[in-house]
Amino acid sequence: MAKKMSFWESQKLQGQIVSWILYAIAWAGALIFVIPLVWMISTSLKAPGEIFTMPPKWIPYSELKLEYDTKITAHFPGKVKFEKDADGTERINLGGYSHVIPPIAQLQVRKNQNVEKGDILAVIPEKGRIKLIENPDKTSIIRIVNDEGMTIKEYNLSEDSKPVVKEGEMVTVGQKIADIMPQWSNYAKAWAPKAFDVTFNRFLVNTLIITLTSILGVLLSSTFVAYGFSRFKFPGRDPLFLVMVSTMMIPAQVTMIPTFMLFKYLGWIDTFWPLIIPTFFGGGAFNIFLMRQFFMTIPYELDDAAKIDGCNYFQIFWTILLPLVKPAMATTAIFGFVYNWNDFMNPLIYLNSTSNYTLALGLQTFTTMYGTDYNLMMAASTIVLLPILLIFFFGQRFFIEGVATSGLKG
Amino acid sequence: MENEKKISKMKMSTQDAVWGYVFLSPWILGMVFFMGGPIIFSLILAFCKWDMITPINFVGMDNFVKMFSDMRFLHSMYNTFYYTIFSVPLGIIGSIMVALLMNQKWKSVRLLRTIYYLPSVTAGVASAIIWMWLLNPDFGLINYGLSILGIKGPQWMADEVWAKPAFIIMSLWGVGGNMIIYLAGLQGIPRQLYEAAEIDGAGMMQKFRYVTLPMLTPVIFFNLIMSIVWSFQIFTQVYVMTGGQGGPADSTLVMVLYIYQQAFKFHNMGYASAIAWVLFIIILLFTMLQFKISGGWVHYEGELKK
Repeated sequence: MAKKMSFWESQKLQGQIVSWILYAIAWAGALIFVIPLVWMISTSLKAPGEIFTMPPKWIPYSELKLEYDTKITAHFPGKVKFEKDADGTERINLGGYSHVIPPIAQLQVRKNQNVEKGDILAVIPEKGRIKLIENPDKTSIIRIVNDEGMTIKEYNLSEDSKPVVKEGEMVTVGQKIADIMPQWSNYAKAWAPKAFDVTFNRFLVNTLIITLTSILGVLLSSTFVAYGFSRFKFPGRDPLFLVMVSTMMIPAQVTMIPTFMLFKYLGWIDTFWPLIIPTFFGGGAFNIFLMRQFFMTIPYELDDAAKIDGCNYFQIFWTILLPLVKPAMATTAIFGFVYNWNDFMNPLIYLNSTSNYTLALGLQTFTTMYGTDYNLMMAASTIVLLPILLIFFFGQRFFIEGVATSGLKG
Repeated sequence: MENEKKISKMKMSTQDAVWGYVFLSPWILGMVFFMGGPIIFSLILAFCKWDMITPINFVGMDNFVKMFSDMRFLHSMYNTFYYTIFSVPLGIIGSIMVALLMNQKWKSVRLLRTIYYLPSVTAGVASAIIWMWLLNPDFGLINYGLSILGIKGPQWMADEVWAKPAFIIMSLWGVGGNMIIYLAGLQGIPRQLYEAAEIDGAGMMQKFRYVTLPMLTPVIFFNLIMSIVWSFQIFTQVYVMTGGQGGPADSTLVMVLYIYQQAFKFHNMGYASAIAWVLFIIILLFTMLQFKISGGWVHYEGELKK
């Protein structure tokens, strides 16, 4: 008996240990899954100088230190020769390799002097005075000047960064001169890109118009059709249902070209109609299927009672059944929102002028123009994703329910 | 009396039929204009040459013959298969594993589910851009992670060999969508089956092998079919991350991107339609094949209970 007890206990303990290990794995995995989004937000708040760093910085904050080389040294042995470029840049040529000498530098060599590798050619003052310049657009410049007012070094700061030095203050190389704070101004820059003739405002409005009307179309027509499929018995119903379900397998590319030509014939290219109108004709096989499954769970006695009360079928549909399928409609609306918000191919095909672009299309165009400004690209992506993330957090329950009713019970 | 009943019954059913079709009418119209009609027209186009300006020319099998010597088409087919063969099985295994974890009775399991599901709703242009940055060879987080492990990461999107795996890795970020389907499946497995297995002395692995997995097969089957249909249609990520090119050196040129290029860049409407049909037929064959072999591995509840 005692033996049995300990065996039972050890198995329980084993189970507990396995559970802990699985729990750790689950959290490790979740961390990996959420990192790309955290990284997106972190990058979106960085100043240009903070993006390309190794190892990567997670917190979009850094201290700006006064940094420059105080000595210009020879890279090669050679004979000193002075040169001047067409734009006025002065150089020391050592026979093959030339060194740029900024105006502020004090020369340490003479003409035709022989130097060894590593010899100092010129020195730049280690100290200077601060000159702060506020630009009208709230950005600022920190300039370090010598006593004669010549510029030693200059930094451009965005409106979010705060200088920690005062006008006229004496600073030395290595000293902290500003806090580079999270760059909230990136969002404004991404929202109204200089390279565009429109702002993301326009894309947002366009996307909202398309998304909301499409959802309306899907909700109206999919419930209407699902009511037909679930409440009437007539010849041809089941084969038609089968046809409908199997259309889910047909890749959109098969119908894409003729549909494009149909809309071109109607003169609807570069309008929202091709993206909206089809949703009013059934609203997609998947949605009809989802709604039909839901209608099937509502007892027929309700219909019969309404019929006895003198309701016609439209009235039964509209006043009795629609209110009962609200949860399914919420699910469909949320899926429709996500689908339309993320849809890229249809807007790409049908919308030509920038002022008609959706957020997805605008964002893609944005990346082709700001290809290396990852901070701005991430800010733009965050703006586009934010509504989806909000919808998700408030509508989580409907996502999960929707999948549970549609994905399984065939 | 008998007759009257019959007549009223008949009336009822014709009335039912009329009403049924009234309610189905939006979908039927949609079928005609946006599905059936276009399908027939695109089938005709597949045997024609047309640039949308000059008149349509019937060219017989030319478009299909052309494919065999069109290296870009052959590449696109190879790339699409490559992507599907890796992303579908990995995606299914990954989503089942996550679903099994998310089916545990932990306090924070709801939060975990949310985190795993989240990336699947962000699918689209924004997530493609995030991945462009993550996969940056010099400053991306992925190569940084690899460098911590002492591995020098590849050039990803700039490398012919690594561009396709990059898309497969990206697709795994979205396993949360299927995870929810499997989770619903797992929660639908009756407790009694596990209890019976426990009485028979089954351990954790055995319970998974002989109860969980067989009971999950109908869901896996449904999910497998839909995953293949979807993965053959990969487009947005590739378009965004390669600027619509499918580079480098066509190594990520997938079929749908090639169809898009042929139709809307080169205006070869006939050829594009022909390729779309090849894609359709491949998907159809895969689906039929799966239905055919499904009898061997898909268990339906009735069978198991016996």
